[in-house]
Amino acid sequence: MAAHSGRNWAGLMFLCLLFVSVAASSNVEDQVGGFFKSGHTNNWAVLVCTSRFWFNYRHIANTLSVYRSVKRLGIPDSQIILMLADDMACNPRNPRPATVFNNANQHINVYGDNVEVDYRGYEVTVENFIRVLTGRLPPSTPRSKRLLTDDRSNVLVYMTGHGGEGFLKFQDAEEISNVELADAFQQMWQKNRYHEILFMIDTCQAVSMYHKFYSPNVIGIGSAQVGEDSLSHHVDPSIGVYIIDRYTYYLLEFLETVTPDSKKTLADLFRVCPKRVCVSTPGVRTDLFTRDPNTVLITDFFGSVRNVEITTETITLKRNDTAQLCSGSSCPGSRRGKRRKKLAYANQFPVEAAYEEEVTKPQWHFPMYFVAALSVFFITVVSAFRI
Amino acid sequence: MAERGPTLLFSVFFCLLCYVFHTVASTKDEYSEELLIIPFRSGQVYSHFEFTTLWDVDFAQGGGGRYKLQHFRLFPRALGQVMTEYRVQEMHLTLTQGMWQQDKWGYPVTSAAPGAELWAWFQQEVDDVDQAWFGLTNALSGLFCASLNFIDSTSTATPHLSFRPQGLAEGLFSTKPSHLRYATLPRENVCTENLTPWKKLLPCSTRTGLAALFHAGQLYNTQYSSLGVHLRPVCRNDSCRDASLELRQVLSTVADPPATLNGKQDWSMKRYFSRSLSGPCPMAVTSRVYVDVTTNQTSSFTLKPEPTELKLTNYQGYNRKLAVYDLWSFPFHKEHGLNVDMKWKKEVSYKELFPPRLYVHRFVTGYGQEHGGIMSLLYNRHPYLEQQIIYMELLPWFTRMYLHTLKVETTEGNLVQPLLTRYTPGRDRQNPYLLEIVLTLPPDSTTRISFSFERAFLKWTEYPPDANHGFYISSAVLTTILRQADNFTVPPHMGSGLQSGLFHSSTEFPLRLHTETLLISLPTPDFSMPYNVICLTCTVIAIAFGSLHNLTTRRFQYTDLKKANSGGMRAWLAQLFGRGKQATSEDKLREPGKESEDPGEESETSEENDYIGEQRELVTPRVRAESDKKDR
Repeated sequence: MAAHSGRNWAGLMFLCLLFVSVAASSNVEDQVGGFFKSGHTNNWAVLVCTSRFWFNYRHIANTLSVYRSVKRLGIPDSQIILMLADDMACNPRNPRPATVFNNANQHINVYGDNVEVDYRGYEVTVENFIRVLTGRLPPSTPRSKRLLTDDRSNVLVYMTGHGGEGFLKFQDAEEISNVELADAFQQMWQKNRYHEILFMIDTCQAVSMYHKFYSPNVIGIGSAQVGEDSLSHHVDPSIGVYIIDRYTYYLLEFLETVTPDSKKTLADLFRVCPKRVCVSTPGVRTDLFTRDPNTVLITDFFGSVRNVEITTETITLKRNDTAQLCSGSSCPGSRRGKRRKKLAYANQFPVEAAYEEEVTKPQWHFPMYFVAALSVFFITVVSAFRI
Repeated sequence: MAERGPTLLFSVFFCLLCYVFHTVASTKDEYSEELLIIPFRSGQVYSHFEFTTLWDVDFAQGGGGRYKLQHFRLFPRALGQVMTEYRVQEMHLTLTQGMWQQDKWGYPVTSAAPGAELWAWFQQEVDDVDQAWFGLTNALSGLFCASLNFIDSTSTATPHLSFRPQGLAEGLFSTKPSHLRYATLPRENVCTENLTPWKKLLPCSTRTGLAALFHAGQLYNTQYSSLGVHLRPVCRNDSCRDASLELRQVLSTVADPPATLNGKQDWSMKRYFSRSLSGPCPMAVTSRVYVDVTTNQTSSFTLKPEPTELKLTNYQGYNRKLAVYDLWSFPFHKEHGLNVDMKWKKEVSYKELFPPRLYVHRFVTGYGQEHGGIMSLLYNRHPYLEQQIIYMELLPWFTRMYLHTLKVETTEGNLVQPLLTRYTPGRDRQNPYLLEIVLTLPPDSTTRISFSFERAFLKWTEYPPDANHGFYISSAVLTTILRQADNFTVPPHMGSGLQSGLFHSSTEFPLRLHTETLLISLPTPDFSMPYNVICLTCTVIAIAFGSLHNLTTRRFQYTDLKKANSGGMRAWLAQLFGRGKQATSEDKLREPGKESEDPGEESETSEENDYIGEQRELVTPRVRAESDKKDR
């Protein structure tokens, strides 16, 4: 009898375990399914500020605000291309060097201590921007200046500066039109250089810049409609200029509440700056995007998908640990026993040698054709006189 | 038992392999970090960080001084790979913000030109030095986030006399000037984005050790701030039969306490670096802080905490007292680390400053936008010794130097004959102008070197976006060997690390000084002109052309008023609104030939025409029908 009940208990236990495992596996399946929902495997960001001069401080602050958020949510510097057309932080006019604040009360230093600017100053041109997007850079370009995306990369493109209907001004010297930008994105699509693009632009008449897009999987967000100006937020009296634009100020405020595991979607991002605070009407374009923006996570574009295993193991470093080092002849592969010449440092003041070199050189040097021509001349003159 | 045999053999073999690989290890490298703090008499405080990595690399591998870098341990791999790829023998890169004031502060440990300065010696076997230089500048621009990729043939020169190799230069190593390239970018600005990758090259980064003091907000809030990376081959030991690769990362700042503290000179690490030292870098062989307390007798400041030792140095009659904090032997507290604190009893008194024996100033002369001149004043304050110097000037192509206007004389008017003049003329849009003069400065004199130049017209596409800012001329460089130690912060030396320089006695001190950079304005066109012209032209065309078009293509006709009145509702409405115009139409009766002045009101003119006149018909009915069709 006891054995029989024991078997029952075992059977019950087995059934329980079965159910639990089925439930757990469905969880696991959900998890595994979740990995493949978004479809991208890496995140990149291209953040461009196109304005130069001190009175455009706010555009640098805009770009750095997005840079700060994007870095905080996980995209590494090697996958961010930051283009700043001027230097505000170490500008002689900045009363607080090496800082760029988004707020007159110095709430957030968006410049930070760990910033890496890839294109700066005069390097921010329309040509360089389009070359970065399309990947057609000269072979000497270093890796940190290249956009090495593939067909599973989600790219965030943020641009700010002065714009008009259908164009964006670069450094007061040239402009990029919406047609060029649309073509650049199409080139990227044809070369499989992106999986999805989130294009954000904070300028006057911003939405005109994404009107001409025709490549798939692109979302466009603009801060102002055609005919509207995108306004700045407030002035910092100690700096003397407007320090941030309204749209990006509220965008930063929103992004500060986003954490790397946040479930907020793009629909929240579209509502970040309503007309009553922004004065201009932000616009959105989602017709080219295949997924429903209500299901797309913000971290799909602002965060990063990376496989990082963090260990809590500590390694104690010992001072002067030369146990595994070799030196000179004890190193394998070094030439032993060969008599080496004594080396010396250079003479830092080589004037005597140079002087001798100057003096020994011949002072006059006639090329051969000159000598030939001269001799021909003299012969003809002499013969002419004789005749 | 039988199974154990092969497994035993395998494990023994595996252990042996491990042991072998354990001993086939990287070559020895050593890292040391030092900080030198010197308070100047004028109140500023000079902090100089030096991080030296010495790596015993085998140079003779490929022949021609070529080295192969592998098994990186303390040496930064990013930099090492760039150096190997472009076959660089020696490289010096400095990024500087601010100007070193020689007459107030003496000589720096390493002098740097304002902006970016890069010079490199390539290995002997390199055939195409220009190609290697081009690759090196681009790679470094990505590595240090600086626009070094703007260095091209218009800013690169090959000096023959100045900038000799600071590392080994015998045998395997090249000494021919054709393997040297020098360039500066005076417009380059330095900020946190240059400090960030520079910090990451250090073995301990900014976690611990002296580099933990780096806080960008404080480092760039200074009068002078310079970052440097210097790579060169050095002697491995005294016999100097082997060479090592030395990487020296340098950061110099000059902070100004009296300016921020209202005259008080107090300085402390916590205030000027925002943190204190918590310990040495574990990878460092030496980790030391040196504080110059020579002026303690005269200015009397108190130094806290107690240094681990006090050292006295003496070179050429100059005594110096240094307080040394050895971080390996300093008793660190758990709560607060080492915070070097200097407190002065009195406010800064701006004592009479003694400028060094040799210093130089340079400025632009002339007026207008066609010609100009450059004048350098070289001061030799020694009472009886004359000084032989090499003066190098590098002018961009758009300031065309006139060599025949070169004048070298003392301020008293005595002509100084240069021993050697080496001039490389420039070419428009290709090469810059390089002038090297060797001359002897008479004792206790001021020598003037002056020449004039012509400003070129640039093509409108060659102007930078902020063209009205002006164009920069890079600083001139003065190279000399001082036979008397004079006002040196640390005497320039051939050894590695500050300690070999501070506790060093030699009779010859190679010195390099940089002058100010100059800003000149070239004839700049008005870039808003095309926009203004277009606006004006369009307005003129719109007004004049419109009027002319109306004059030539419009016909004026007269219609019967009575006929128009009997038009029904529409005509009644028209008449209602046209009542105001009837008075004017009667006026117009007297001036039948007058045409309408407004080209935009075409529909109204036809209406007005309907009311003008009664019986007069200027055109035949057939033509009228045609013109009716045209109007409608």
